This record gives sequence, structure tokens and C-alpha cells, in this order.
Amino acid sequence: MSTALATRPGVLRRVGGLRHHSPGRLQLLIALLVGLGLLSGLLAGVAGSAARAGTDDLGDRAQPLLIEAETIYSALADADTTAAQAFLAGGLEPSALTRRYDDDLARATTALTSAARRTPEDGRAATAVRTLSAGVAEYSALVATARANNRQGLPIGASYLSEASRLNRDTLQPQARELFEGAQREVEDGYGAAGAVGWMSLLVLSLGGLLVALALTQRYLSRRTRRTFNLPLLAATAVTLVLTIGTISILLTQQTRLDRAANQGSGPVASIAESRLLALQARGDEALTLAARSGSGPYEKDFDAVAEQLTRRGGPMVNEYDSLDPALGRTMDRAAEGFRQYVSAHSDVRALDDSGDYEGAVELAVGKQTTDTFEGVRQELDRALENRKEFFTQEINAAGDGLGLLTVGGPLLALAVCAFAFIGLRTRLEEYR
Amino acid sequence: MRIRAALTATVLAATAALAGCAGDSSPLPVTPDRPQADAVTPAPAPDGTKPAPPACNPRASLRPTGSLPEPGDMPAGSYMATIQERGRLVLGTSQDTLLFSSRNPFTGEIEGFDVDMGRQIAEAIFGDPDKIQIKVIGYDKRVSSAVDGSVDIVADTMTANCERWVDVNFSSIYYEAGQKVLVSKSSKAKSIADLGGKKICSAAGSTSFDNIGKEKSKPIAVARPAFGDCLVAFQRNEVDGISTDDTILAGMAAQDPYAKVIGDKFTQEPYAIAMNKEHPEFARFVNAVLERNRANGTWKKTYEKWLGDFGQAPPPPKAQYR
Repeated sequence: MSTALATRPGVLRRVGGLRHHSPGRLQLLIALLVGLGLLSGLLAGVAGSAARAGTDDLGDRAQPLLIEAETIYSALADADTTAAQAFLAGGLEPSALTRRYDDDLARATTALTSAARRTPEDGRAATAVRTLSAGVAEYSALVATARANNRQGLPIGASYLSEASRLNRDTLQPQARELFEGAQREVEDGYGAAGAVGWMSLLVLSLGGLLVALALTQRYLSRRTRRTFNLPLLAATAVTLVLTIGTISILLTQQTRLDRAANQGSGPVASIAESRLLALQARGDEALTLAARSGSGPYEKDFDAVAEQLTRRGGPMVNEYDSLDPALGRTMDRAAEGFRQYVSAHSDVRALDDSGDYEGAVELAVGKQTTDTFEGVRQELDRALENRKEFFTQEINAAGDGLGLLTVGGPLLALAVCAFAFIGLRTRLEEYR
Repeated sequence: MRIRAALTATVLAATAALAGCAGDSSPLPVTPDRPQADAVTPAPAPDGTKPAPPACNPRASLRPTGSLPEPGDMPAGSYMATIQERGRLVLGTSQDTLLFSSRNPFTGEIEGFDVDMGRQIAEAIFGDPDKIQIKVIGYDKRVSSAVDGSVDIVADTMTANCERWVDVNFSSIYYEAGQKVLVSKSSKAKSIADLGGKKICSAAGSTSFDNIGKEKSKPIAVARPAFGDCLVAFQRNEVDGISTDDTILAGMAAQDPYAKVIGDKFTQEPYAIAMNKEHPEFARFVNAVLERNRANGTWKKTYEKWLGDFGQAPPPPKAQYR
């Protein structure tokens, strides 16, 4: 059989000679069917485990990394804004702002630790994680010095704060963005790996070949013998059919789920995260414009650009979120509406400051009403993000379903096919002895 | 706090260049927004490319005419009337020069000797010193802000010199300062002459920065957006010393018990209020206010309020006119 094909010279000729007499042909058919069966089993195992590993990587590493990168970024931006607002308030820092700053730093460092675990040791992401770890420590040291000086009434505290803010905005936030964008790319690549399209198509091809070979073998046997049906071969065909249908249905479910996770999970998650970052950036611009105390400057221009992006139809915030989930659509509508209110409050802040009423502008900017409006936007966006994260997790788990069955069951069924085929043809072969 | 004043500086550099102001130090080849990288910049050589300003007596300002108008009743057509109509005087200053103009961390208000100068002008116009809007400007924007009219007056430890007289009108001198150097308590240096090769910080666009480069001992001048940033750099051991006017250094030494001011004044820095050149009547008005306040003891009271810790108030600088 197949082992005989191996070594000695003249093997090919002898194998070729087999097809000239019936027992030889039967031997060849056994080799073919068993070979195809074994190949299919092997491919089922490999394709199943490759897709499983890809899906797990996507769900357990790439997507969480994206969320963590966003957390680091937004926590840093928020810490910067909070520190500037505490400074604007004058006097002793309001305890609510101190608490929020502490929370921000805690979130950033926690996310940074787990992001480090999910990042390969070399490459740009790793560099970003290293710069961020060192930078966050330096940043918090600068802010702590600023606070200590502020408590003693020394104006140098303000200079420490501006040094900290420079570090945050010019070094840390760009690195966090780099990490965020890198994670986005990894998620996109992750969908390819999870699909394991190459292995899956080889598996389907091999199963198709096996089916055709089984069909042709049975036709040959029914013509050569008086028996119309060969029961073991029929069983082999049935098992192969089951395996093929099972594989295709697992494959289809997985692809559908992956598509849904990508288009309705990862995609919206990235847009909502972007909205949250932009909103925080706008709020930071406002505080920094007031802290600089030099009228509308470059931060105000940045505010305008950001606000335009967030209020634009088809942008990251105003989009067709309701087509994904009506509840999500409502959440995002509330966020967009809240942001419009905030922008109008901001115009009042600028009008006050530009007309010389600095104290009034500060009061309006960090006062309860504007703060509540902005916090409202943030909470809606958080809620929207949770909604999509949940959806993603659910779809990615469903995409993984059945892959385990394929990895284990596929090879077993294929072995059964081999066994049935062998038994079926072996009986015919015995008749020539 | 001048958060990212650097960015402001870069963006606004174009505006300043447009005005072509001789008085602002030419755009410095530093990137203060990258605090680690900006470190060392040699100050412009004395034989730099800037054309020499016409010779002048920087202390001599425009002579006041007649008596001061009553507050709230500015002569029609004058720039004071424009300010009165607007309802507030716009003062350009800094917010991190302790004693002259710095933000009081307890109240959030900007206060100091310079701010009080502005408040006295506001009082003369409105009868109310609170009708003032404080706009914080970078050191390298002091001339251009007066030129482009974004502020009415600049009172920001600003030295009157011939180079700046080309672009702005100065009032008569309201304070006589001079440059010194601040170092760590442990330093053995006696004056700037002993600081050759050391990194000495000053604010970008200040005359002090240029003066460091002119020193024979060749210290290395380091620019930061503001003097507060210099003190941060000093405390973080990024520079060995800070050199600028004795008054500003005194404010810094008051915040850092490990710092000391050494040597004699090696320059003369007469402070004056800068204004737009198109309104000579406003400069005359400001000089009349200063003249009155020298005579009636207001100047002395202001000195004692902010600088009293340094001893008896000296006689106010004598006004000189053209």
C-alpha cells in the first residue's frame, strides 16, 4: 500500500503496473481513500486550532489592548485637564478634582501594566509602553511637586504644573496615541488570523476530493460486482458528508460572527473611543486657554477643530449608531446633544473672557453646570463603549464556538472514514485471494 | 501658568515677525516645548546680525502736558477716551514673577508691583483700579503685544532700551533694576565671572538672556519660556544658575531656601511701561500719572507693599524727558 510507494527503484513502475489488474486497482483505491481521509483529518485539526488561536488572540489580547490603550490615553488627557482645572479654581485644590486626578493616574498605570503584558517585547508598541511607564512616573512627580509648592503659596507651583502639562501633552499623549493606533492595526490583522482562511479552504478542498473519490469508487465497484451497495463505503460517505457539512457550517458561523464583531463591535468601539478622546481634548483646550490667561490662542483653534469633528454628521460621534442597536443610537444621540450644549457653554466662556471678565469665565468653565453637562457627555460615551464591548465579547465567543469540536472531532471522523473505506475495499480484495 | 507657552510662541512667531520688532529678541533657535531637548543655546554674539539701534537716552520719555484730566472724563479723541469707552484697561504682564506680577495661589489673582502700576493707571482713567483686564503675555511678546494693540500697556519687568524704543513708546522709568545671578547655596562662585561654562537660564526674549551671552566668562545661556520655568529647571538640576534682574531673582530666592543671589549688578535695567507708538498722548498721560504718584507717596507705598522686605524704599527714579 502507501508505504510500498517509498524507497526502491522501479517502485513507480510497479505501482503503475497495479492498475492493469483488478486487485491492483483495489489496492490503489484503498491508498487513495485512506490518504485523503488522513489528510482531511490533519487539516481539520490544524485549521480548527489555527482559527481557535486567532480568535482567542483577538478576543483576549488585541481587542483588550485597544481598550487599554484608549484608557491610558484618555486617563492621561483627563489628568492634564483636571490638574489645569484645579489650578484655575485657585486656593486649595477642590477635593473632587484631586480624587479624579488620582483615579486617572491609577487607571492609566493599571492599564499600562496589562498593556505591557499584551505587547510583544520589541517593536513600536513596546517602546511606547516603556516611554509611558517612565513618563507617567515623572509626570506624577512633577504634579506632586506643584501641589507641595501650591500648598505653601509659592507661585513656582504653577511653573511645575506647566512643566508637567508639557510632558503630558507633548510626550506622553503622542505615545499613547501610537499605542492606540498600533492596537487598532493589530485588531484588523487579528480578524485575518482568526479566519484562518488558508487552512479552512484547504480543508474544504480535501473533503470535497474525498467525497468525489468515495463516489467514484462506489460506482466502479457496483459496475464490477453484482452488489449495488457496499455498506462500509456508504458509511464512509455518510461520515464524510457529516464532516463536510459540519465544517462548512462552523466556518460560516465563524465568519458571520467575526464580520459582526468587526463591523458592529471593533469598528464602533474605535469610533466611540475616538469621540471620548476628542471630547476630553476639547475640555482640556478650554482649561489650558484659561490657565494661560492670554486670551483666545492656539488651544482655542484646536477646540474649534475638535468641536467641528465631533458635531459633524458622519463623524465619530454623530453617526448611524441606531442601525446597530436602537439603545446605542439613543445613547449616542444624548452624548451628541450634551456635547452641543457644552460647546454653547464654551462659547459663553470665551465671550466672557474676551470681554475682560476672566473670573466670570473661569467660574462658568469649572462651575457645576458646565461640569455636569460635560460629565453627562462622558458618561453617555462610557455607556456606549460598554454596549459595544459587550457586543464584541459576545460575538467573538460565539465565533469560537464549534472550533474546538472541529479540532477534536474532525480528525476522529476522518479516521472513521479511513477505517470504513479500508474495511469496505478489503472485503472485495479478499475475494481475489 | 504658561502651559505650553512654547506652542503659543511658535504659532504667534509669525505675527511677531510680521511686526518686525527690533525689541523682541529674534526668534530663538530653541524648542522650549521639548524641555529635555532645548537645553543649550549659545546666546547671540554681541556682533550679531541685528542692526544697531539709533543712539538714544532710553530713560527719556515724552513730557506730560498740563494737568491730569479728572477720572472718567478723558479728553475726546484721545486714546484714554477709547479705553474709557471700552470700560477696562488691558494690561499685558506675566504671571510667574513673584513680587512683580505673579499669581497668588490662594486667590488665583495676579498681583505685584507691575500689576499695581497698571492698576494706578486704571484708577487715573476710571477712578477705579479694578477696571483692568490682565492678559498674560510671553516675554518675547512684550513689544509685539504693544505694537499690535492687543494690550494697552505692558508692565512686565521690562527694560527700556533704544532697540525697543524703535517700536514702542516707553513711560518714564518706574523702577531701577540690574542683572545679577542666582546659584545654589553650595556654589563657591562669587559672581557671574566665576560661572564660565556653566548653564545659566533666562527667559526667552528677555534682555537678560542676551546679556548672558555677552559675559566674558562665557557661561552657556539656556532659554526657557518664562522665569518660573527657569526656577523649575534650577530645582531639577537642569541648569546651574539663573541670571536676570535682581528683583526677579529676589522673588525666586524667596521661594527656594537653597538658592542665593550673588555678585553686584552687572547691568542697568530701568523698567518702564511700554505702549503703542501711535498714541503719544497716552504716553504723556501715563507719565503724568507716574509723576503724580512719585510726588504723593503712592510709589513709596507700592514699593513697601511688595519690596519692603529688602529694606527701606529708595527715592523713586527721577523722571527724564526729551
